[in-house]
Amino acid sequence: MSAIEIRNLSYQYPTGSEEVLHNLNLTIESGKFYALAGVNGGGKTTLCNVIRGFIPHFFKGERTGKVLIEGKDVQDWDPSDLAQKVGFVFQNPFTQISGVKETVFDEIAFGLENLGVEVDVIRQRVQDIIGLLGIGYIQDKNPNELSGGQKQRVALASIIVMEPDILIFDEPTSQLDPQGTEEIFRVIDIMKKKGKTIILVEHKIELIAEYADYVIVLQDGEIKKQGRTEEVLADEATQDFGLGLTQYTLLDLAMRKQHMHTERIPITEGDSVSVMKQWMEFQGVKA
Amino acid sequence: MKNFKKDFTLISILLIPIGVAVNVVAGELVEILKIPLFLNQIGTMIVAMVAGPWVGAVTGGVSKLIFGIFNPTQLAFMPVAMASGIVVGLMAKKGFTKNAWKTAFTGFIVALVAILIATPTTVIVFGGASGTGSDTITAVLLASGKEIWASVFTQKIFVESIDKILSIMVAYMIVRKMSDQYLSKQKYGHLYLNMNQNKHNRKIGA
Amino acid sequence: MERPGKFILNLYPTTKFLFAFCLMMTPLLLPGYLYSYMVPVLCLVIALIAGKTKLYVNFVLKGLVPIVVMIFLLQSFFYPGDTVLWSWSIFSIKQEGIHFSLQLTSKILAIGSSIVLFFQITKINDLSRALELMGISPKATYVLSAALNIIPEMRLQLLRIMDAQKTRGVETEGSLTIRMKAFVPALTPLILSSFSSTDEKAITLESRAFTARTKKTSLHHLEKTKSDHVVRALLVIAVVSILIGRFFL
Ligand SMILES: Nc1ncnc2c1ncn2[C@@H]1O[C@H](COP(=O)(O)OP(=O)(O)OP(=O)(O)O)[C@@H](O)[C@H]1O
Ligand SMILES: [Mg+2]
Repeated sequence: MSAIEIRNLSYQYPTGSEEVLHNLNLTIESGKFYALAGVNGGGKTTLCNVIRGFIPHFFKGERTGKVLIEGKDVQDWDPSDLAQKVGFVFQNPFTQISGVKETVFDEIAFGLENLGVEVDVIRQRVQDIIGLLGIGYIQDKNPNELSGGQKQRVALASIIVMEPDILIFDEPTSQLDPQGTEEIFRVIDIMKKKGKTIILVEHKIELIAEYADYVIVLQDGEIKKQGRTEEVLADEATQDFGLGLTQYTLLDLAMRKQHMHTERIPITEGDSVSVMKQWMEFQGVKA
Repeated sequence: MKNFKKDFTLISILLIPIGVAVNVVAGELVEILKIPLFLNQIGTMIVAMVAGPWVGAVTGGVSKLIFGIFNPTQLAFMPVAMASGIVVGLMAKKGFTKNAWKTAFTGFIVALVAILIATPTTVIVFGGASGTGSDTITAVLLASGKEIWASVFTQKIFVESIDKILSIMVAYMIVRKMSDQYLSKQKYGHLYLNMNQNKHNRKIGA
Repeated sequence: MERPGKFILNLYPTTKFLFAFCLMMTPLLLPGYLYSYMVPVLCLVIALIAGKTKLYVNFVLKGLVPIVVMIFLLQSFFYPGDTVLWSWSIFSIKQEGIHFSLQLTSKILAIGSSIVLFFQITKINDLSRALELMGISPKATYVLSAALNIIPEMRLQLLRIMDAQKTRGVETEGSLTIRMKAFVPALTPLILSSFSSTDEKAITLESRAFTARTKKTSLHHLEKTKSDHVVRALLVIAVVSILIGRFFL
């Protein structure tokens, strides 16, 4: 079943001089992990805001076409149902704190309080998420006093604790080092294994290759490419849209130029190892 | 009443705590710099300009409540702050904050209303005193034989007119610096869009 | 000292409010000014027990004393009257003025110091929660809590901006014009950056279901205890006996 259906979607900001999204059509399958990629200014953030209904609610401007979540247009959803259905984490961690809570623990609990969840359940769920993200050491700190990376983890925790079916993450690792980024991907992967639908805007191609099921490439408000990750990221043409390929793919493509044809083009480290092994065996080289 | 509720969108509501904090911090800066004015309603005026009179009034009221924690006499002037928000908001809706001259005129009206409300408060509640340096003006006037109402009224004219006109000019400058992107999300932000052509491609601060 | 202090601080916010309110109102019921002048002293004692003396004294001295002094100066010299107590050239202190000042300042001090005390012994977060439980909109209490939360952040930012400007040679001392000129450049970037965060804040709150119409729960536990009932009962007894004493005896 599809989680989100987008039909003939166009949008222009009230202060913009031209459309930012042109006649988009897209189907997001339930329980899958989608990576949204493309050059800066391609419209990724805009699309995320449209899917979550913040456009046109907050940003005004005219949106045409349809954005259906479980068959109902996002604009017709009740705000509290929607908050429970679609989680949204955006790039800037500094504005992603409620501004009224004195500890990280209470901050993470804020969404559940608003949903009227029972206090005991809240405590348990917050505790679980804190464990999952490994942020127990800051749970009694004031959210205002955290570093950018810590705030980003708290922002993520505050949303996934609400257990929405669909999770939209717009560059949730911008403030994190490579190790922190890996950890976040691990958490997102756990969410996927729990059956959540995930839409992630991300530039780090190695991680997309590793975790995403599908890649959607957006440029100038149009979908330039979409498909299974192993197809999109193995295609040389993808580079035309400002998206790098992984070093494993690039190596394989370079080999092909030298007429060394592997069986298929790998996109991840593990992939690459098995493809190489196969190729060497085929060539009669003993590894 | 319907209009009243309509003005309180989530974005507008979120302007209130910022406006209040701006008032408090600006008031403190005035003290640090030892400027003999209050200048503690700039936040209220900005909020009133972009979010309308009622949100402005609440910003003024909450500000006085917070000032009251540190100095309870300020609570008595809550109506003055609320009225400032209302007047600025109503004038803004009529286009009277669109250029510097009109804004100065609005400041004049705000001062007038403030004088009319603050004078009776000061005379009746505080026996004519305010506990600030401007009490010397009142004292001189009283010594020269004027009666208390006239003295306080005159003192308020001196204090409020300079204070309110300067405050609104600062508020006006700041609203002008807000980006179109930001203003387009505010309830009455459209009043200030494209006020200045070369601003079009610049993104400044807000 | 630990226990009575805890007792006061642990009272329910509305109990504290009722207490402060009674302190404010009784001077209006009692004649003369002696009792009213006792109120700030009583508040001081409570602040002392609650461990809030420093802030209480500070705010009373800064907020109330100047205005009280000014009232005395203005009114004792210029209040119309003929009972001259002391005079020097055209200035004379009159009995009527002193009397008026005593009456007025006693009430201002009583009301003012009760308010100062109330805010010193009550946490705003407790107050917000109590108001919410009374049915006040969470949006209203959010505004209150958020404002108090932002102020210290903004103060820090202001100091940072002023430091940066000092190193760039913006003067903050000297004549009034120089100081006025320092005001706007210090404030403008601060105000713009603070306001600019509101639209993303709206997205944050909406994502956390802040506008949901469901009845909210809260980890912030607040409960009336036996001490609240005792204090409230004592307040009722005190007010009733004052009323009886004033109007029936
Ligand atoms: N609030 C706004 N008002 C007007 N135009 C906007 C607004 N936000 C973005 N835009 C414009 O819309 C286009 C798409 O921007 P968007 O932020 O969606 O791109 P993006 O793919 O998320 O880029 P990035 O990788 O930099 O985050 C850009 O040209 C941008 O300048
Ligand atoms: Mg973006």
